[in-house]
Amino acid sequence: MPAEALVPTSAEEAARLYGDGEGVVVFAGGTILLPEISAGRLKPERALMLHKSGLDGISTDGGTIRIGAMTPVSALVGGPSELISRFAENVGDGEVRRSATVGGNLCATAGVGAQRGDLGAPLIALGARVRSTGKGGERTEPVEDFLAGDRSGRLVLEVELDAPSGKWGAETLRRRHAHSYAIANVAVASNGGGLRIGVSGVGPTAVRARAAEQSRNPDDVLRDVEPVDDAVASAEYRRKMLPVLLRRALDQLETA
Amino acid sequence: MKAVGARLPRYDGLGHVTGRTQFVDDVRVGRTLWVKALRSPHHHAAITSMETSKAEKLKGVHAIVTCADVPKNVYGHLEALGVPADEPLLADGEVRYKGQPIAAVAAESEEAARAAVEAIEISFEEREPLFDIRKALDGEAPQIHQWGNVYPHYGPYNHRRVRKGDIEWAFENADAIVEGVYRPQAIEQMPMETQVALAVPEASGRLTIYSCTQAMYFSMGVVAAHLQVPLNKLKFIGGTVGGGFGGKVDTAADTVCALLALKSRRPVKWRWTREEEFLASSTRAPWHIEIADAVTNDGWILGRRMLTLHDSGAYSRFSPYGVTKHAFHHTGAYTIPNLRFDGFVVYTNRVPTTAMRGFGVTSVSFAVETHLTRVAHAIGMDPWQLRLKNANRIGDTSGNGVAMKDPSTVPVTLAAAERVGVELPAEFRQMTPEPRSGDLLPEHLREQQRLNGEDS
Amino acid sequence: MKLTVNGIEQEIFSPPLTPLLHVLRDELDVTSPKAGCQQGGCGTCTVLIDGEPRRSCLTAVAAVDGSEITTLEGLGEPEQLSPVQAAFHERYAAQCGFCTPGMVVAATALIERKGGPVERDEVLEALGGHYCRCTGYVKIVDAVMAASRGQTGAREDEPETGEEAPVMIPGSPA
Ligand SMILES: Cc1cc2nc3c(=O)[nH]c(=O)nc-3n(C[C@H](O)[C@H](O)[C@H](O)COP(=O)(O)OP(=O)(O)OC[C@H]3O[C@@H](n4cnc5c(N)ncnc54)[C@H](O)[C@@H]3O)c2cc1C
Ligand code: FES
Ligand code: FES
Repeated sequence: MPAEALVPTSAEEAARLYGDGEGVVVFAGGTILLPEISAGRLKPERALMLHKSGLDGISTDGGTIRIGAMTPVSALVGGPSELISRFAENVGDGEVRRSATVGGNLCATAGVGAQRGDLGAPLIALGARVRSTGKGGERTEPVEDFLAGDRSGRLVLEVELDAPSGKWGAETLRRRHAHSYAIANVAVASNGGGLRIGVSGVGPTAVRARAAEQSRNPDDVLRDVEPVDDAVASAEYRRKMLPVLLRRALDQLETA
Repeated sequence: MKAVGARLPRYDGLGHVTGRTQFVDDVRVGRTLWVKALRSPHHHAAITSMETSKAEKLKGVHAIVTCADVPKNVYGHLEALGVPADEPLLADGEVRYKGQPIAAVAAESEEAARAAVEAIEISFEEREPLFDIRKALDGEAPQIHQWGNVYPHYGPYNHRRVRKGDIEWAFENADAIVEGVYRPQAIEQMPMETQVALAVPEASGRLTIYSCTQAMYFSMGVVAAHLQVPLNKLKFIGGTVGGGFGGKVDTAADTVCALLALKSRRPVKWRWTREEEFLASSTRAPWHIEIADAVTNDGWILGRRMLTLHDSGAYSRFSPYGVTKHAFHHTGAYTIPNLRFDGFVVYTNRVPTTAMRGFGVTSVSFAVETHLTRVAHAIGMDPWQLRLKNANRIGDTSGNGVAMKDPSTVPVTLAAAERVGVELPAEFRQMTPEPRSGDLLPEHLREQQRLNGEDS
Repeated sequence: MKLTVNGIEQEIFSPPLTPLLHVLRDELDVTSPKAGCQQGGCGTCTVLIDGEPRRSCLTAVAAVDGSEITTLEGLGEPEQLSPVQAAFHERYAAQCGFCTPGMVVAATALIERKGGPVERDEVLEALGGHYCRCTGYVKIVDAVMAASRGQTGAREDEPETGEEAPVMIPGSPA
């Protein structure tokens, strides 16, 4: 049975059609979902297609940047945050990025052989917040809390962050090919006295590295994350490289 | 000689750049059914039961084939050369690699075919798999074939062997013995076009098969043999191949499509997914190669002992031929008068391996060239000079006794040295492929010169 | 649903979540976009959607309802090749030809966007997601650069391969 497609033409309609998310598959860019559907591994009964929902676009009001869930990753390359751009430009290639969305990137789960959701690292480092709706209504929470929580039953509407003003550092490790998924991503940002560290690509979701933030000791990042084995790299290699990447990213803060 | 050196347009170039080239998947025939296969989820198992009746009743399903539907289920490319075949087209009673086809369905749509595959009831009794060729010869290793774990049909032997000169003498008279182990790994050929075939039953009773094979007449013979029909019942259309690199020498999709087309009386198409291509199509073989060279301090290779284990995967396909080529090339481009080579085709529960770009030769070249540099380092000699000194010359004999008429080792090595800016002493720069003489004709190489003389 | 494919408006009857690739190939018989992987990883299915190169295997047809689609068939005829097609043909940038539809379409969009000569690193960036297993990429990159410079037409000279061919991994810095 082909899926029933719901095509809302506004954010409100999207939220209403989504309801508490029961039995609805959110279809954003489809770069993850569509291959699963055409291979017959995923057979959604109802798909909420967001391409006409108006949930795309980047706006700045006051000191706040708002990135709609349906904003293509390509729009973040050279966009309002250089740190986010650094990671956005590594997602797939230009053609994939034109379809891939920010909401899909945040809600992506690990693939068969690789981790996804690269943008989590810079968003966490910049203190970004996710506005979502679903069971129990709308709520806004830090990206790290959204990722650590139960995401099923949530429809992401947008991501918001304070216009970056401080210093930042970024390190990504991947093979030299346009399609290589990350082995590890580290993003750091400091604003005034505060340091925030986001890590992605080493496990199923991006994580905020609080222990390392506190001690500023790169080795402590291994207390915050549990790297996994996949087709891209071994957990052992990730464990070896993560502190190295974090040290380099922190060095960038010093010299920025 | 209008073509040599001229810049001619490709005959198929215009079609390629305008999107008009018709690959197998692009051929449109009305009422074509889609094929999907039930593949083994296990590396090694007995099939304890299989029931297709539920699947057959599903909407849109037109035909299902299992081993019982194949007139001659076990057939191999080398059978015509007297080599008994070992591979069933569709698994019969047991599976020996993950992804091995067991049954195939032709249905109205890809989705319907997939649903039917899922509806086939099957149960297995898993067996211990074998993946490491080095363990294949152990007594306790799982046994994969009726023949054991080694392909046994090299004349009177169970392996390809080369014996030349007096290997004992070489090792007794060596100043040094340099050993090395080399293990080139499996590689997926990965053509951009996955395996695909379209079989169309014609009103005339013939079957037209659109094939992406690299070897049309092999495929024709294989399909005819499995179907047990004369060749004139088959019409093959091919030659437009979306990349093969060796991976389309074995017949992959043609035969199953032919069977399903005959059974359903409809055109059927089987296009493998990229996953199937990676998980179930053949790869280049992994190899285990051990070399011991008997060398003198002044850079002569007196003798070579070599053992090769070629990982054939679950079935032999072209592997015996690959090992034969490997054996012919096991001295590389160099003259070694005393040899003892043993090459085994070993079965494991990996996907069957096959040709890829220099079948059997790339592996041995990698090992031999790496080893020569190792030898050079061991005796403190420049690796270029070691190669040039032992390079094949006119009149030298290859491992299998062929006298060299026009060996290119010397000019090629000199050209390579020049390109990378290596400066060689004049005596090396001036070398040619001409027959050995003077310092380059030591006592141990005289014998082979004389032998040649007598032979010819 | 409606699509304008190579200038011709077509009504579409496939279900909304059908990949555009399948709509083109199986509903409209436009077969130049190829199903190399059907999961976004190879670039053989790339088409222009309102002028932008995107993967048709990753695109649900409903999401591009009303769009203009251009495939390789729509860029030129055998008797009247587009500059990129001519350069690919003259410079042997198509071997088996299976990757060619995606390559030419993506390269055409790159040159259009730039509006003038494109450099090697720009080609590598734009074609970085396209696999070719035959050519080794050198001739493809040369062809795109040549097309962007108008260097097409009868060529009796030796190919202008520029500097000695570097070892290239698509997507990596040259
Ligand atoms: C060749 C290739 C390379 C890739 N490389 C990378 C890479 O380097 N890094 C990386 O991070 N990813 C990569 N990806 C994965 C993917 O493209 C991106 O993660 C992308 O951002 C996913 O977005 P999407 O809109 O396409 O997601 P979709 O496929 O539409 O959805 C993905 C998941 O998120 C859910 N979802 C989507 N939007 C929302 C929403 N607003 N609210 C709630 N749930 C939602 C969907 O239900 C689904 O479960 C790659 C993909 C391909 C094909
Ligand atoms: S088929 Fe679409 S990218 Fe491979
Ligand atoms: S020409 Fe064959 S894949 Fe590119």
